This record gives sequence, C-alpha cells and structure tokens, in this order.
Amino acid sequence: MINRILKIDLTKKKAEVYSDEKLYEDFLGGTGVATKLLYDHHIENIDPLSPESPIILSIGPLNGIYPIATKTIAMFKSPLTGNLGESHAGGRLFMSMYDANLSAIIITGKLDMPSYIAIENEELRFVPANSIWGQSASATERILRSAEKGIGKRSIIRIGPAGENLSLMANVAVDTGRHFGRLGLGAVMGSKNLKAIVISGNYRHKMENFAEFNKIYNEIFWTAVKSPAMKKYHNLGTPQNVLPLNKINSLPTRNFSQGFFEGAEFLSGENLAKNYLAQQIACANCPVGCIHLGTLREAFEDSTHFKTFKIPYDYEPIYAMGTNLSINDPNALFKLLNTVEKVGWDVMETGVTLSWATEAFEKGLIGTNQTDGLILNFGDAETYQKVLAYMKENKNEFFNDLNKGSAYCAEKYGGKEFAINFGKNGSPGYITGRDAFLGFLMGVRHSHLDSAGYSIDEKIISGDLNADPAEEIDMLINEEEWRFILNSLTICLFARKIYTEDLVLRALKSVGINKTSEDLKNTAQKIHALKYKIKIDNGFDLNSLNFPEKLFNVQTGRGKMNKAIVQEMIKTYTNRIKSLVETLAQ
Amino acid sequence: MRKVMRVVNRAQCIGCYSCMYACSRTYFHIATTKLAALRVKNYAGVEGAFSIRICIGCTHPDCAAACPTEALTIREGGGVIFHEEKCIHCYKCVEACTLNAMQWDPIAREPLACHQCGICAEYCPNDVLALVEVEDDREAHND
Repeated sequence: MINRILKIDLTKKKAEVYSDEKLYEDFLGGTGVATKLLYDHHIENIDPLSPESPIILSIGPLNGIYPIATKTIAMFKSPLTGNLGESHAGGRLFMSMYDANLSAIIITGKLDMPSYIAIENEELRFVPANSIWGQSASATERILRSAEKGIGKRSIIRIGPAGENLSLMANVAVDTGRHFGRLGLGAVMGSKNLKAIVISGNYRHKMENFAEFNKIYNEIFWTAVKSPAMKKYHNLGTPQNVLPLNKINSLPTRNFSQGFFEGAEFLSGENLAKNYLAQQIACANCPVGCIHLGTLREAFEDSTHFKTFKIPYDYEPIYAMGTNLSINDPNALFKLLNTVEKVGWDVMETGVTLSWATEAFEKGLIGTNQTDGLILNFGDAETYQKVLAYMKENKNEFFNDLNKGSAYCAEKYGGKEFAINFGKNGSPGYITGRDAFLGFLMGVRHSHLDSAGYSIDEKIISGDLNADPAEEIDMLINEEEWRFILNSLTICLFARKIYTEDLVLRALKSVGINKTSEDLKNTAQKIHALKYKIKIDNGFDLNSLNFPEKLFNVQTGRGKMNKAIVQEMIKTYTNRIKSLVETLAQ
Repeated sequence: MRKVMRVVNRAQCIGCYSCMYACSRTYFHIATTKLAALRVKNYAGVEGAFSIRICIGCTHPDCAAACPTEALTIREGGGVIFHEEKCIHCYKCVEACTLNAMQWDPIAREPLACHQCGICAEYCPNDVLALVEVEDDREAHND
C-alpha cells in the first residue's frame, strides 16, 4: 500500500514527501489517517482562515485498486462551525492521487497571489492565476483542463467565487458533479489564495498477489453490476428517495414545517429521469454510474436561440433547494442548482440558510430593509435567484451574513428555534424521526452519512424494528464506527452492502494488510474517540446539546417526538461519547 | 468472418474506465488505466461527453504501414501484432493512427497494441464496446 504524504507549504512554496508507516498501521488511511494528522495540527489554536490552517486530503489502501473505492477524504478546521471539518468527494481525485503515488496531501501556508498548484507525481508547480480568480467553478475546470496536460488522468479540484469571497459555506468542486460540499473547505482554500489543484501521476502499482486481487476485483465488480440495489443508484440515483420519504411524511418541506411536499411528484427521481435526465456518469473505477446530469434548456433573452446546461442532481440538493423552499418546478430548481454550482456554495447549507431567512422574513425578524427590497416567499424561485446573486456580490450586510450560514444568522437576527442546523451545520434532508436527528447532532461531522439514523427510523416506521431508545443509540454508534473503517479505505458508502466485514478483511489481506475483526473494531473506536477529542478541544459542548426547538412540534415519519425521551437519549449518547474519549487518555 | 472491436454505443459511456482497468489488469497485472490499449477521453468542460478510441482491427492498418522496422505486423483477422524486440521507439505508429486508437506506454516507449480480445467489452457495464463479427473494415462502424 502507499504510505507517502506530500506536505506543501504555500508561503515558502516548498514541498516534501515523507513516509509514516506507523500512522498507516494504526489508522489504515482515509478518514483515520486524516483525523490523526488533523489532531497533530492542534487546530484548537488556529483560525480556520489563517495561513496555519491545514487542508488534508487522504485516500486509503483500497483506493485505485478495487472498484467503488472511489472517495477522497478532506479534513480541515471548518470556518462554518469553528470545529472539526470533514467532507468526502468522489470523482477521479482518489485515482490521480494513487497514480501520483501519494496517500495524503497536507497543505498549509498562504500564496502571495491567486494561484493554482499542479502536482505531477511528487513534482509541484505553483502557477500564478490572476486570470482565473473570479471565474466560476465550472469555467475554472474547462480552463485548467486545457492549460494543464498532466502525465496521466487529471483530477481538478477548484473553488468558485464563493470560496474566493470567503463565504463560510463555500465548497470545493471535484471533477464533474462531485464536491467536497460540506463545512466550508472552499473558504479555507480561498483564504490561502489557492484557486485549484490539478493532479496527475504515472506510477504503476504491480499487484503482488495478482490471483487473489483479480478474484476479489471480480467479486466486487460483478456484485455491483448485478445487484438490484446498485441498479437503482444508476437508474434513478439518490432521488429515488423523494417519493418513499414523502409517503412516510419525512420529506422536509418549507423549512421543516412538514414531511409531505405536495409537489414531490414533480421532483421525484422517476419524473426527473423520464423528462430531464441527460445521462448518468461515474466516478473512476465504479461501474455503477450514479451521477445524474439533468438538462436545463433555456432561451436566450429576446431570442429564439437556445442554450442547454447539464446540471448534476441528487437527493440532497433536491431537498435543500427544492422541497424545503417549496419549489416544485424542476426547471426552476435546476436553475438555482446551476447558480449554486457555478458560484461554488455548499448546496445544503445554502438551502437551509435560505429557508431560515424565508421563515425569519415571515415572522418579521428581518424585513425589506435587510433584503434590499426583496420579499421572501416559499416557492418564489425568481426571488431566490436574486438572493443568490446578491449573496455572490455581498450586496449588503445581510447578504454577507447569509454567506456565514444559518447558525450565524439565527444568532444575529433571531429564530434559532427554526434554524435547522446541528453543530452549526445545516441539516440534511430527513424528517423520519429522532434517530435521524440524533445522528445529525452526535455524528462527528453532523452529516446524514455519519450514522444514517434515518434508516433506523425507516425500519421502525415499516415495523421491521421495534423502538427502543437504548438499542437505537447502540445502532447509531455501531453504524458510525463501522463507517469509520469504510471511510478509511476509502469506500463509497453506496457500496456498503458489498463491502462486508469479511470482504474488507480479505481485500486488505490481498494488499498485504493483515487485520482481524477485533483490530478493525479497535481502530474504529480509536478514530471515533480522536475525532471527538478534536471536537471537544475546539469547543463542542457535550453538555448543551439539543435539537432545534421547531422539530419537537413537527410530525416526523415516526410522529411527534417525545421531548423528554429525546433529551434522555441525548444524555445517554453524550455519556457514551464522554467515556469513549476517556479511553484515549489510557 | 472475423471478430474485431467496435464502439457500438458511444453515448452510453459513463466514464467509469472499467474497460481500461480491465485491459491493463489483464496484460500487465497492474491496477491502472494507463497501460490499456484503448482510451476513454473526456472533453474539457463538456460534462459527460466521452469519446472512445479503440483499435478497430483494420485489414490494412496504417500503424503497421508506418512502422519502419516491421515491429507491427498484420494480424490474421485484422489489427496488428507487436514484436517488441524490433521496436525502435519512434512513435510513428501512434501518429499514423487517425483514430488515435494506438496507445503509448511512455515509460517503455512502446505502443500498446490491441489484442482484439474483448476483455474491455466484457467489463463495460453499459454495452458501449463489443467484439463484433465483420467481413470488411467498414462494417458495424464505430458509433
């Protein structure tokens, strides 16, 4: 396996590669290794937008080797939350890092002028790029793909104007339609004058045990190609969830006021596939092809000429800019998504912030003085377009504040009870019940992908599982810890049913890593504890955790939540975390 | 009748590179896209537009004609066979292929000639590539 870390100092324009065998022995790769590297940077003493603030990109021992091990982990200090920042992206980045024989990249410092970095194996060039500063995330890719030839398949990651303007919800776009979406990595890159990274390599990794490798490759590949679950990811993609969630009252609508959206039919995976889908594409080395590109066809102004855009769409963007803002027209939704994509915001935080703003406007906490005359209404896509345009140019103090996310805005203007964020991170799109919310609250990155509590809720709704607070907490923690292993390797979670523990152990063995089931369990717990140690050191207060108050009054998929039980569960969960973190001291 | 490679459904390509991985894996035992005898190209900024450059097994291959040392000889059934010991690393074969199908190994400085084996098609999840029966070169042309 690769164990080579490229350390880049942007201030000195210097880079070096080093190895750390023990780090990979102890933490596998991916999120495990990145967590330890972030911990060692002592980010509690660092401003997330200062030169010292680190960006860590990390892949694992199965990336580049086995199918659907397609993710790269980014870790950083989140400017949005001031705490642990972690985001995962697919695309080709893992492949280009593997080809460049690099398992991790650590970037610190600040460039003296807007620039991009070209990495070819361990060779680095710092290229001044005043001409692309200000370009959209999409244009930047087009320009760099012709400017940089590379020495193999190139991956291009870049920020748009949002990152340059230090919007705390800026994302980093990765190749086509993939992103380090969450927690504001784009602003960290922007603060370093770093517009983009282009990476390619031409190392060749011979498989020591070819027969075993080939056997396992085929097992994964053909299971993925033939499995009905994976077919669904290809056919409808994640928007397959729109109608089932709507049916069980779990699809966030108008800032989490209800779980039923009357326009769900229009935004359903079925309708989008039938009437808007241009094509599916895939991450490298993944035969599934879950990335859905929808078509947005628009006339030129005052003309019969037409232009056609391809807009990547997924369930979460549909919830964030669609159902939760009460937008039911796919064209209007795609237009909003197109703007968000070009400017380079995290679509989920953007949607949550706009839905908070709309409710705050309704309730009179903000008025036309703040909005420069705009009247915010759920369902009014045209006005939301204007809001995005004003946010892009930071038109006034209020629009500048919107760029800081829903938690900041609610703190300043009020309406905390209906600013639907967890750990200051805008909520994912599920009102299934308490386990979804508990997962968002207690998960290390406040993501639906941490522990997938919605899936536990769904099983309880369908009657496949009985509600039991203690058991539900166990399930959340066990799921999150197993995912630390998958995210260390670094597997796309869509393939989690293929990458069983047995397969993971065999796949690791085939690349020379001998682990037992017990080893993985211990490693997962260590990663969990270390992540929480980082969170606590950075001010995450385990003693004052709660859900946004509004959620207690809403009908979730499982009905209204019992506040007393939920608070008891938070307490139990918190105690589990506290004793987990104490194990680190031993 | 002979069997040669064709791109039968170009627009169904999702860009997963499973074909290139399969080719490199089969002939070099290496997990990479770069030792494949075909290439899936993606165009700058044109989201999702792929062009697949694959040897179609010409009966009068331009690459072999351009080779000054007979390192590429005509394969029965179409295409070429590469004789490594005769190669002088001149790159003329690559330049001669208008389809841009002849790939190059920049480290060995040798062409990567297609074996017309169909392993790439076997691993294509979307039936983009196929080993098809043809009588002459113009049949079942690339989509």
